[in-house]
Amino acid sequence: MLCLWGLTVRINSKLAKFAAVGLTLAYTGLAHAELNVFACEPEYAALTKALAPGASVYAATTAMQDPHQVQARPSLIAKMRRADLVVCAGAELEVGWLPMLQMKSANAKVRSTEEGLFFAADQVDPLDKLAQVDRSMGDVHAQGNPHLHFDPQRLLKIAQALSAKMTALDPDGAAGYQAALADFSQRWLAAVPVWQAKAAGLTGKKVIAYHTSFRYLFNWLGMEQVADLEPKPGLPPTSGHLASLLKRAGEGDVLAIIVASYQDRRGADWLGERAHLPVVMLPMSVGGNDQSRDLFGLYDSVLALLNGVK
Amino acid sequence: MKIQHPISNPGAALLALGCTLASANALALDPTLTNPAISAVVDGYYQSSDRPMSERTEGFGLGETELALSANIDDMFYGKVTAVLESSDGESEINLEEAFIQTLAMPAGLSLRAGRFMSDIGYLNNQHLHTDAFTDRPVAYRALLGGHYFDDGVRLDYLAPTDIYWSLGAEAFKGDSMHAEDETGSREFSNLGVFTAYSKFGGDIGDAGSWMAGLSYLRNQNGRFMPHEEEAGAEEAGHGHSASYTGENTYAADFVYKWAPQGNYKYRHLTLSGEYFRVTGLLSDEAPAAGAKRRQDYHQAWYLSGVYQMSPNWSAGLRYGELDAQALEADEMQSQKLRETELSLGWHQSHFSTVRLQYTHQQGANFDGITDDNILTLQYVMSLGAHGAHQF
Repeated sequence: MLCLWGLTVRINSKLAKFAAVGLTLAYTGLAHAELNVFACEPEYAALTKALAPGASVYAATTAMQDPHQVQARPSLIAKMRRADLVVCAGAELEVGWLPMLQMKSANAKVRSTEEGLFFAADQVDPLDKLAQVDRSMGDVHAQGNPHLHFDPQRLLKIAQALSAKMTALDPDGAAGYQAALADFSQRWLAAVPVWQAKAAGLTGKKVIAYHTSFRYLFNWLGMEQVADLEPKPGLPPTSGHLASLLKRAGEGDVLAIIVASYQDRRGADWLGERAHLPVVMLPMSVGGNDQSRDLFGLYDSVLALLNGVK
Repeated sequence: MKIQHPISNPGAALLALGCTLASANALALDPTLTNPAISAVVDGYYQSSDRPMSERTEGFGLGETELALSANIDDMFYGKVTAVLESSDGESEINLEEAFIQTLAMPAGLSLRAGRFMSDIGYLNNQHLHTDAFTDRPVAYRALLGGHYFDDGVRLDYLAPTDIYWSLGAEAFKGDSMHAEDETGSREFSNLGVFTAYSKFGGDIGDAGSWMAGLSYLRNQNGRFMPHEEEAGAEEAGHGHSASYTGENTYAADFVYKWAPQGNYKYRHLTLSGEYFRVTGLLSDEAPAAGAKRRQDYHQAWYLSGVYQMSPNWSAGLRYGELDAQALEADEMQSQKLRETELSLGWHQSHFSTVRLQYTHQQGANFDGITDDNILTLQYVMSLGAHGAHQF
């Protein structure tokens, strides 16, 4: 699992050396000090790994963990202490833990986006920005929806900016980063039309989903989330709210109920059983299921799961 | 140590503070000097009877109402101010609990903090009271650290570049709230009274578990009790933020372990923690009572706590704590013991609001007449304003 890459490298430096031999065959000319990268979410660990194959990458969270609610735990402080670059979604997704890690890790290199701090949301225009935010609205982000990685266009822009950031931090590795970006972009641009062809039948389909986790996926595929299992963002489903969803599902136009790998599926199962709708658990990120070994596998798996309910 | 300004019209002061809050964007995005993170904590309760060394008294009351302001000052400094409004015996006071600056860009994992701040000894001490899972601190904290020990001073902290979390720190404080009982008020206390040193370790056990453990030492220059010749009365269990039982050396060991299924804190998680304190050097050598019979020349206190968040809306906690302290009574050290078993049930509408019901059973021996008491507390604690990132 990708989320364990960083760990593997740490625990088994010998194994890592063997792995490095393989990587060196593919990307020669990377014989310099590699970047030490701390990624807040597994999707950005996977992207960094693709764009800097020699870098030591640590993922702070897994696809089974809600990135809104992470403990500023000692292991993360120790990892950030030694990081050259911190890569996060941004748009306040990590507001409950990243500032504490920065304060405690006493690492001046990763404090500012002018240096070793990178927010994906800063590189693109997020959906659903809000002019006014109030706690009564639940856990909403004024800076827009931060679950950006299911938009292939936005992700490519983020990849380009991340590559440029790594080049700026590590100019000696420029040629390697350029080669890796070219390779990733080419494979990505080749994959997108294939995915779109696979998803052609999903256009216009309506789903009920948990949170706005797949906002960008539905936007890209032309699907519509007609209702949310959460009564308000961040609040768990209530029985009253589920009853209203059952009524909505009764209109007969809903394809499925979608939950992400870190979300509790009990509410979805309750609704699915009564409304006779399939419940689909999609991997929220790389490592969210066995197929999602990298970003390509993640997209493949999500589309296969969605196509499976047709 | 406390700067107390009894205000003639606390209502007006609160109103002014409230207006400041309302005019600022409560959900400050990235806190800056023109747009700092502003937060407030409101805490109210009803308690069925008094507890020793606690600020919560019988009946209706307010806990610490807290107003905090924080921001990065520039690329080198972070600053925070926390004002606490307390009301006891019909009087309101504003205390400054925190007013510190901290460096952000020192090299080699070093950081420096100066001003008034909470000492980093032990596990609970540097945590804000409103994040606790119980209405009061364990008896160990109330007796030996005045609830939580914050003071004016400096701290140097070092974080090692190791895979396992390992930090080392040292602090120097004024130490006024840690003075030994002064019966005549004539004792000259050192105004550089407290020095601390601590080390913490931590890491993960798989995806699901995380731990931290620490060792601390606190040297209190003013901690030895100097009995007066004529009348050497028993120590009074004090109120406020002052330590009730003092000594020259405090040794502490702490641990915390947190677990969540697959490390996902969204729905369920468990926190186990415990701390042990031992305070030695209770009496001054020059004191006439130094020759008094000493059955035991130390205070000792500990607690163990387990809190389970069973759903986003409900949590339950169980805590057991003991205090075994010494007090000079008629030229002889007498043991005073207090044992507390506490059960708390919390209801959380969101991360920001908690309503808590707590049952406390106290068993005392030679302790303010407490033998076998049952206390019920109903409390709300809510925070408004900026999301604060919590410590582990």
